[in-house]
Amino acid sequence: MSIEYLLMAIVIMSLATFATRLPPFLLFSGREQHPLLQFLSKYTPPMVMSILVIYMLKSVDYLSVEGFYATIALTTTVGVHLWQRNALMSIVAGTSVFMACIQW
Amino acid sequence: MDVYNSTMIREALKTTLPIFFGYLPLGMAFGLLFQELGYPWYFATLMAVCIYAGAAQFMAVGLLAASAGFVEIAIATFFLNSRHIFYGLALLDSFGRWSFRKLYLIFGLTDEVYSLMTTIEVPEEFEKSKFYFWMALFSQSYWVLGCTLGAWAGTHLVFNTQGMEFAATALFTVLLIEQWSNVKKPLPFVVALAASGIALIVFVGHMLIIAITLSLIMMLMLRFFNQKVRDEY
Repeated sequence: MSIEYLLMAIVIMSLATFATRLPPFLLFSGREQHPLLQFLSKYTPPMVMSILVIYMLKSVDYLSVEGFYATIALTTTVGVHLWQRNALMSIVAGTSVFMACIQW
Repeated sequence: MDVYNSTMIREALKTTLPIFFGYLPLGMAFGLLFQELGYPWYFATLMAVCIYAGAAQFMAVGLLAASAGFVEIAIATFFLNSRHIFYGLALLDSFGRWSFRKLYLIFGLTDEVYSLMTTIEVPEEFEKSKFYFWMALFSQSYWVLGCTLGAWAGTHLVFNTQGMEFAATALFTVLLIEQWSNVKKPLPFVVALAASGIALIVFVGHMLIIAITLSLIMMLMLRFFNQKVRDEY
């Protein structure tokens, strides 16, 4: 595989990725105050966040040991977050628990 | 307010630290995989700088190994990242006027950065687009660091990062809790759950893009056809 091929592929992937992030800004620039856009702007994030969490959790096999560890780690994350409301602390706590379980 | 305001930069760094824990292990995993292609390590760095998309970079390793054609690479990358089309909707008026900074903010709109930007409250004393710029820059630098480390020193690392990938799940979970307390209304969460269910049952392969598209359509339909939704949301 040549360097030229790799460089060309990188340029193409960069443009293709940028092309997925750009459209709303081109289409709706200057129309931010439209009630429908305001509505979407408000409710897309909670929907996307819910879907991302479901996506991350769907690939776990809950009948395996790893599924058990993931459940404990997730409970830790949520518990620490409801208790302290500190994003960094919750993430570090949940991830540490998961790492400790899986490496032990 | 100056772009190089040090209080603002420090605050942006602190805000993005949760992303650091997600991007470092994920980037390293990519670097390790990339190494097997036989290219010098700095091309992994180049990919992190220019492409900056987790899933697409992982897929790229497979495509490059198979010497895929450029058209195939373009189409596969576009579709894998297609959910990002909807991300700008929530940030239309947050990136300021057209400028290099705005273009960079659009370029840097990954899942993690989008989630963080749409959930946190930017401190009032900072200009939003400038604060976001530093958030985007720090986040990408974690990704570049991870990818580089993985490709350069991956096999010699003494620290065992196994399981660290849970940080991404933890980040989205924490931000979901924050979204819940920001929005305080159940409808978008119920709609997203229903859309995910349908996407998982009917279209297993492309869950993300289909669930997001479906949830937006359902939410808009509810608003058009239901007086109660129109009044309350």
